[in-house]
This record gives sequence, structure tokens and C-alpha cells, in this order.
Amino acid sequence: MISAVVVAVSVLTSAGAWADAPTKEEMVKLLQTIDDRQRNGGDYKALAYIEQKEKEKADIVRELLIFRRDQDDKLMLLFTKPKSEEGKGYLRLDKNLWSYDPTTGKWDRATERERIGGTNSRRSDFDESRLAEEFEPKFLGDEKLGKFETYKLELDVKPGVDVAYPVIQMWVDKDSRNILKRQEFAASGKLARTAYYPKWQKLFSQSKKSDVWFPGEIRIFDEIEKANSTLVLFKSVDLNNLESNMFTKAWLESKSR
Amino acid sequence: MKIVLLLMGLVAAVLLLALVITFLVATVRVFGSIYQVARNPSIALIAFRSLLQHRLRSGLLGGAIGLVTAGLLLVTGVSVGINDTLLTSATTLMSGHINVGGFYKVTSGQSAPVVTNYKKVDAIIRREFPEIDYIVHRGRGWAKLVSDTASVQAGVGGIDITQEAGMKRVIVIKEGNIDDLQKLDAILLFEEQAEKLGVKVGDRITIAAQTPRGTNNTIDVTVVAVAKSIGMLSSWNTYVNIEQLRHLYQLNEDTTGALQVYLKDIKQVPAVRERLRKVLSAEGYNLLDPDPRAFFQKFDAVNHESWTGQKLDITTWEEETSFVKWIVQILSFFATAVIFILVVIIAVGIMMVVWISIRERTREIGTLRAVGMQRSSVLAMFVTEGFLLGLMGTLGGTLLGLGLTFGLNSANIGLPKSWQFVFMSERLIVTPTATFVAFGIIFITGIITAISVIPSFLAARLKPISAMSHVG
Repeated sequence: MISAVVVAVSVLTSAGAWADAPTKEEMVKLLQTIDDRQRNGGDYKALAYIEQKEKEKADIVRELLIFRRDQDDKLMLLFTKPKSEEGKGYLRLDKNLWSYDPTTGKWDRATERERIGGTNSRRSDFDESRLAEEFEPKFLGDEKLGKFETYKLELDVKPGVDVAYPVIQMWVDKDSRNILKRQEFAASGKLARTAYYPKWQKLFSQSKKSDVWFPGEIRIFDEIEKANSTLVLFKSVDLNNLESNMFTKAWLESKSR
Repeated sequence: MKIVLLLMGLVAAVLLLALVITFLVATVRVFGSIYQVARNPSIALIAFRSLLQHRLRSGLLGGAIGLVTAGLLLVTGVSVGINDTLLTSATTLMSGHINVGGFYKVTSGQSAPVVTNYKKVDAIIRREFPEIDYIVHRGRGWAKLVSDTASVQAGVGGIDITQEAGMKRVIVIKEGNIDDLQKLDAILLFEEQAEKLGVKVGDRITIAAQTPRGTNNTIDVTVVAVAKSIGMLSSWNTYVNIEQLRHLYQLNEDTTGALQVYLKDIKQVPAVRERLRKVLSAEGYNLLDPDPRAFFQKFDAVNHESWTGQKLDITTWEEETSFVKWIVQILSFFATAVIFILVVIIAVGIMMVVWISIRERTREIGTLRAVGMQRSSVLAMFVTEGFLLGLMGTLGGTLLGLGLTFGLNSANIGLPKSWQFVFMSERLIVTPTATFVAFGIIFITGIITAISVIPSFLAARLKPISAMSHVG
């Protein structure tokens, strides 16, 4: 209930178009809005597809299930297709991300910033949004992105926070407050990844008592190896409660058999 | 089932026993023959003349023995050549004789191949170890190299080229200038990588990697030199200025990947390594338990351990190249198998020929026995024939092998790309050693001599009267 009020207040206070360059507080509020709109507070399950295109390699489509319990910061990814990837998974326990390979039966500790399944997608593409927690915003101006009027922001990582890309430029739709485009820069300042969010969907959450927004599709383009791209499609999102004991290594292993 | 196994075991034991007894008897007979020849040197003369008399047979057999000896010399020469090249390339490209490397863990699950405060470690080694010749420090990295047209994953070594005299001696530059690695945005590639990336000297490439904290970072560098391939190890090693590597991994200037320690005498490696462990432990450094693998094979194990901070890892050049040692081992196994088969064929041939020779010379044996030659002298004569044949054949084969080795090395024969990977060189290198030359002569002559004991023993048992009346 409280989170719903926070979101409502945030949306109301930041809903109007900024007449001048916004203050830092206004931008932080916008980030909180973006984060809160995507947060469920309860459980989250989605079926997703990742299509990876790489130069001189056959395209690979992977199907995976995403499980989240935002309240406890828990995340689990379980690959279900193709056959070669079936049963592989990732599980975040506390601050550690573990990857599981059923062919060896081994758990390896992975970095939270690691590529997921060898694709150009990252854990953060599937996890809850934490922009306000992790970044300091800077206003770059208004910009038209196709037919959309957007705010262009630059986000710099806060000191002591570890992220895959320390600088992000974001184009946020003025009307819907949805992210439409996101460019991520390496520590050197070189553009590394551009992601487009052409579809946003919402679903009413019983636990949150309001709508939860999620991208229906993310198109990621590798800016260093120009020929590589990744498409992430989110299907059948379910916000109902998950089994209480499923975020464990044993559970993921049992599903991998 | 148990009975079958028991029977098989019994048969094997009997065969083994028979083999041991035969070997012992043959040894006794050979020594007996030596004694006979020492007492009566004319036996050796008769044996030698007999070989001369049957020139064709002796020539063919001696030639076959010579070819096997030359083959043994070449195969062992190639094996030694690969080992030498491995030592040279490994201790140039990726390892010292001993390495003080290590891992730094920001969190328990995330390690980086980094030695912090390396200058202090360097000072301790220089102070405590008079055995060292010199020390270089190298940054260690694994990154994606991206050109306009392609990308490759490769090891990226950070070097200070002004300190790398050994590297300049070994690496042959095909294009560009190795000293340009002093420039900050420079990279040295090997020709195989340059070919894959479609770049030449002067072209720009991007190096992308994750810092120890997991942040993505890139550096843009210019190809300043393309070196000739030196086999498998050069296919995944590239070099940049160490300052630039620190920049890529966002490390401070008192960090390095490993201190590569070169000794005046490589034979001192085991002793120095043990002392180094003790000295560094006494200085308060935490050391990883000995693990005879290359550093990049240890990440999984290190990431599973719960400690954080710095641990040093002391390795030898052999451990750092253990992942390619299997090639040398397979080649050695292959060489041994080939030589074994050839020796068996030759041994059987020798036995057959001595047998035929005895049959042809049955009447001669009868005459010799009739004029008073003892059985032991007949045995000694035939064994001496085998010995002389073996000795002359192997000596001739050794000369042939050395000649071929010299010819092959002088011809500077280039190897196909796929072979270079295995042979660790772009050309065929055959390195004959005195040990293997001596081994070839002694081993093959010994086998030939021993194998001639059985037919010689049968010849010695012939009765003079029946031998003299033998027809055919």
C-alpha cells in the first residue's frame, strides 16, 4: 500500500513536463518512478526468449524462465531450450550470482555483471530496476526519438557501486515515463551497448495493488562488435506468488534433471 | 569368470617367467661369448670375415639397422626440438623459469590475476636469491580484440619493452617495430591473430575486457608490430604496454600480473622455488597451495574459496605450460611406439637371417667343430657376428641420421599452419643430443646381439658329424 502511494506521488510530482532543466531531485524522482513502476514487491515469473545474432555464427534462440522475489532481492533464470542449454541456470543468493551447468553438475560463482548465457544480455536486463539506487542523473536535454518526445538523461554510477557499465544515457518518454532507448558506456567512455525498448506492457499486481510495467521486448546492439545483436522477448508474465522454497540450488538442480 | 581370470593370470605369469629366464640366459650367454672372444680374439676375426663374405645379406641387414637408428635419431631429435622450442617460447611469451603471480579477490567469488605492491616482492626476491639472473614483471589479461571486420579472444600481456631483452631475442618481427611498444596505445600481434583480425601495422583495434570489479572497459590501440608465429603459445598471446593494461583493468601502478624470475641455471628451479615459498611466507605473504597448472586454469578453484584480498602463487615454467605438455607427451609416446615396432621388426628379421645363415653354414659349423672348436666358441662367433652387424649398422645409421638432421635444419623447412600449432615452430627443428645418439647405438646393438643368441645357441649344439653330412 505504502509503495503504491509512493509511486502515485512520484508519478504526480514528476508527471508534468519540465519547463526548464530539471533539478537533481526531480531527476532522481523520475528514476524512482521508473524503478517503482517496474517493481512488483512480490513475486514475478516470466517466460522469455533470447535471440543472439553474431557475425559468422548461426543465430541461436534460447528460451528461459525468469523467477524473481523482489522483496528478498532473489533472482533465478532457468534455460529450457534449446536442448544444449536445457537445465542451465543462474541463481542469485545474497550478493553472489551462481551459474549452474547440468552437464558437469557444477555451480560456478559468476559476476553479477556477467553476460547471461554467453549472450549480450546482462543480469540487470532481467532483474528489477535499480537506477535511482545505483546512479546519479544528469539532464542532457529534450530530444525527439522518432515520434516520441523524450528526456535525455545521463546516469553516472555512484561511488562504491559495481555495475557493468558506469555511464548510461537514457531516453525517457515524456508521456509514459517508459525508457525507450538506453546507451551504455564502458569505463573508458566508449559506447559499448545500445538497447531499444519498443514495447512496454503492464499487469495489475495484487501484492503491489497497482500496475507493474515491464518491457515486452528489448533489442540490444553491440556497439563494439557491430555485427552482434541480441533480442529479448518477454512472454506470459505472471505476478502470482511462487513456491516459498524455490530460490535454492537444490530446486534449480531438480528442474535441470 | 574367476577361473578364467585366474588361468589368464597364470598364463601371463608363466610367459613373464619364460621371458625373464630367456633374458637371463641370453645375458649369461652374451657374457660367456665376451669371455670367449677375450680369450680368443680370432673368433671376432672369423665373425668379421664371415660378415664380409656374405656382403649382400650383411649389407641389407646392416642397412635396415642403420635406417632404424637414423629413424630413432630423427624422431627423438624432433621430440627434443619441440621441447626446446616449448621451453624457449614459454619462457619468452608467458613465463619465467619461476613465476611469482597471484590472485586478488575483491569479493570471494571474483578473482583477478594481480599481484599488488609488487615492487616490495621484487625487492625481497632480489635480496634473498643470488641465483637469479634477472626479473621482469608482466601484466596478465584475457580480453576480446575487435577490429573493423572480426574479433578474437586472446591473452593480453602487459610489458615494459625496455626491460624485455629476452623477448626481443626470441620474437622475430615480420612487420613493424617491437620498440614501439613503449608507446601507450600500442599492441604487438602474432601473424595468425593479425590475419584473423584482418589488420596490419598502423591499424587500430579495440580491446574490451571486464575490470576486477566487473565493470566493462575498453582501450583503443594501434598495431605497431606483427611477429612471426612461434607455435601454439603465440596463437593466443598479444602484448601491450603495461601502463595501458593497467588502464584497461583500472589497476594502480604498483600492481602487476606476475614477476617472472629467470635463473642463471634452470636446473635450480625446484630448489629456488621451495626456498621462495619459505621466504615469502616468512615475510607474511599468503600463498596458494602448490597446484601444477597454468594460472588461467585456477580461476574456478580460486573463486570457490572464501578468502578475499591477496594470495601469491609460485609456479614453474613447466606448470605454466602444463596445458601444452600433452602434445610433447603424445609425440614422445608416438615416437617410442614407432621405434619399438621398428626394433621388433628388425629383431625378428635378424633372428630369421641368422637362422638362415646357420642353416647355410651348417657344414662349416660341423667342420669348425670337427677341428676342435668348442661349442662356446661357436656360440661366441655367431653372437659376435650379431654384435658387429648391430654396431656397424647403428654407427652407419647414426651418421646418416646426423646428416639428415643437418640437412633438414639447413633446409629451413617451413611447416603448414596446422603443424606449427603442434610443433610450436613455423619450421621443422631437429635437435640431436649426445644422450640419444649413445642410447640409439647401445640400445639397438644390444637388442641385435641379444636376439642372435637363440639361433647361435642352436648352432653351437649341432653335432660335428651330422653337421658335416648336412646337405642343402
